[in-house]
Amino acid sequence: MSEEKAFPTRKIYRPGVVFQPEAQRNIGRGINTLVAAIRPTLGPTARTVAVTRLDDARKPPDVLDSGGVIARKVIEMGRRDEDMGAMLARALICRQHEQMGDGSATAAVLLGAVYSGGVHYLAAGGNAMRLRHYLERALADALAALDEMTRPVTGAAKLAQVAEAICHDRPLSKLLGEIFDVIGAFGQLDVRKDQGRSLRREYIEGMFWNSGLVSRDMIADQTELQTVYEEPAIVIADFQINDPRHIMPMLELAVEQRIEKLLLIAGELSGDAIAGLLMANGKLKNFQVMAVRGPGMNPDDRQAAVEDLAVVTGALPLLTVMGQSLKDIRRENFGGARRAWASPHNFGIIGGQGNPRRLRRHVSNLQAQYQRTDDTKRREQIQARIGKLMGGSATLWIGGSSEPKIEARKDLAEATATAMRAAVKEGVLPGGGLSLLGCRARLAAKLRRAQDPDERAAYRIIHDALAEPARAIFENAGYEAGEVFGWLTAAGAGHGFDAVSGCLTDNGALLDGAAIQKMALKNAVMTAGMALTIDVLVHHKTPEIARAPG
Amino acid sequence: MEATYTLEFARAADGLFALAASPDFARDGLCFAACSSGIYRSEDGGASWRLLRASSETVTTALALSPSFADDRSLFAAVKGGLLRSSDAGDNWYTAGFPAPPPVFSSLLVSPDFERDGFILAATLEDGVFSSTDRGLRWQPWNFGLFDLAALCLAMSPAWTTDETVYVGTETGLYQSSNGGRAWRHSGFPSELAPVLCLATTTSHADGAVRIFAGTEMHGLHRSCDGGENWERLAADAMPDAVNQLYVTHDERGGASLYALTNDGVLQSDDEGRSWSQVIRSDAAATAMLPLCGVIFLGVLGKGVMRLPRN
Repeated sequence: MSEEKAFPTRKIYRPGVVFQPEAQRNIGRGINTLVAAIRPTLGPTARTVAVTRLDDARKPPDVLDSGGVIARKVIEMGRRDEDMGAMLARALICRQHEQMGDGSATAAVLLGAVYSGGVHYLAAGGNAMRLRHYLERALADALAALDEMTRPVTGAAKLAQVAEAICHDRPLSKLLGEIFDVIGAFGQLDVRKDQGRSLRREYIEGMFWNSGLVSRDMIADQTELQTVYEEPAIVIADFQINDPRHIMPMLELAVEQRIEKLLLIAGELSGDAIAGLLMANGKLKNFQVMAVRGPGMNPDDRQAAVEDLAVVTGALPLLTVMGQSLKDIRRENFGGARRAWASPHNFGIIGGQGNPRRLRRHVSNLQAQYQRTDDTKRREQIQARIGKLMGGSATLWIGGSSEPKIEARKDLAEATATAMRAAVKEGVLPGGGLSLLGCRARLAAKLRRAQDPDERAAYRIIHDALAEPARAIFENAGYEAGEVFGWLTAAGAGHGFDAVSGCLTDNGALLDGAAIQKMALKNAVMTAGMALTIDVLVHHKTPEIARAPG
Repeated sequence: MEATYTLEFARAADGLFALAASPDFARDGLCFAACSSGIYRSEDGGASWRLLRASSETVTTALALSPSFADDRSLFAAVKGGLLRSSDAGDNWYTAGFPAPPPVFSSLLVSPDFERDGFILAATLEDGVFSSTDRGLRWQPWNFGLFDLAALCLAMSPAWTTDETVYVGTETGLYQSSNGGRAWRHSGFPSELAPVLCLATTTSHADGAVRIFAGTEMHGLHRSCDGGENWERLAADAMPDAVNQLYVTHDERGGASLYALTNDGVLQSDDEGRSWSQVIRSDAAATAMLPLCGVIFLGVLGKGVMRLPRN
């Protein structure tokens, strides 16, 4: 008997064109199916979704409670028209998950509600393009209402509250609250697996780069496998040093300047150049030198690291573009620090002697660049640079009873950390679906004033859709949503519903990241608006297997 | 009372960096002087001073007493490369080490809730700020976001126990932390007015808001009434450009008096810095002051500690 295959044979589709009303109906089915699969995961009492394993269908399924992860695992729906709708929803959900780390289930529920409302209106003879235009206008009003509700979040306790709303893991939330209280929005946080069973955190003073000593012979402390210099001079060069004779002017000037410890950060050093430095360590009295490779995997990263190191240490770097070599070294090329350390894989600087005003300006410029760019990779790079320059970093160690549990908690911690950064940067909103409910008053007022039927429809659709995330949270927790809405109305403004305890609370007791909610709402409405205007579907012979968007 | 030097330095180069008195000074008359020649203690309200043997010939740059000194007898002194702590009013000292190269301390600050939180901050000239949460036993550097590690002075919010806000004046500006010094951000203080040599905080009698005062090296005294976002210069005509030390005293009715040590002497304000009167005129280079009930102590470079009557 032949062995069972993990994957069924993929269907060969015939090319074709699908017109209305099938196009809209089938797209809607795809969207609604994916939204329905993710809806149970919304809220603190999220239920789970079992997904067949992609690598081996015979293994137990993955049991998931994250909308973003579930959407990633959905590759096709079985029918090509529905696939198109599902992939539109999937792209939205995955984007939300990747960029924000949270809010993917909220985005899915909003998408489903706006799209369904739109389809009903179009079926009654509405104009799709005009509806889309007014949906975007209603979206702007809802976002403005969210802006008004947004409050900054400070203090470890409040930050822990935000973290708990995201990951529903109290010990992890407590640590993340403390960590973000210290490192702020841009601080460097590494999440690592630990051998132990519990969680712990560590703060590291100064800044460090993932690039180490050029030679193990430069390691002074063989136990710790590192060399530490007190008050070293620092030379930065972005080029390769091949000729040992080129290091002589640097050594001569260092001795002339009565420098006792020297850290050379260079693109790369040849064996001969390294031998030259080691010889200097042996021969020159009261002088030690160590060299590390310049950090960065590509030219852009290397250039950025040189720029940052120069600002931190006050050194004037020697640059290839200026046609410089070590022979051109002058006094201004020496920077300094209170301490520097290097191991075979990393090096760090504590108390760089650069100009503090220049350092602050440099960080401000990087923050402005961060705000200007939409490119996720570029944002990550800038964030990492700012994190280093803040003068310290945090490491969160994730332990657990088994490897899969550690892995899952590490993923959860990373996703929560991403969402926390957004919350620290852009503030928080009342949680538990309350902030979206809070926008409805503004939309209701606009709806009362609207005259155009398409405009009225758009405001009504968004108004109704904004209640759906709260409805899903209440229902997922086992409550009758209508009843809870009644309690909230009776309790009046400023109250929320804690789906875990089943009690009414102050609306400050539950918190969500503002950026997460805003992005979920914005992307859901934009995607729904776009999907509503699709009139015709065109299929190729065999569509490619869907991939993660972006 | 006559202005007299109750402590006289032996050498012209001797300096005095800080003066501190027991919170119960009116009853116990205990006060301390941190000098380049060591730590001196007076047990008679500053009439006579004794060099503490344990600190002899040790340059002491900062001094701070526990707010509950009457009970715990704890005081802290900064010496080159380390910190000393005593729990018997200076008879015996224990050291706390710091990573090399040895830091030079500029200021020490003990939490007003020290009995409960055991929290102390130490500012250094090249290594930023260190903190201890175990009554000075172990110290950690806390410099997240502090871009300028030349820390010159420290001050805590009067509402420290609830807002955990602390300020540090540096060579290039004023930073503040709202989480007990774990992370810092630059305040709205204009960096062109730096360095900030001294800081003080009070709670306004009028509106209950915190007032922050910053004395600069060359641009006089500045005040913020909105948590450090906006600053105004105070008494530009009466206040000299260099303000070396600020000190706040409180009377029984909760009123605060602010003292400013300048190169011309000591000025006093009883209206949150709006108007100032000269209480001591001095031609000598005064480096520290300590206004107490009935007297003001003034440390003068190369001379000693002067004890002056206070109206």
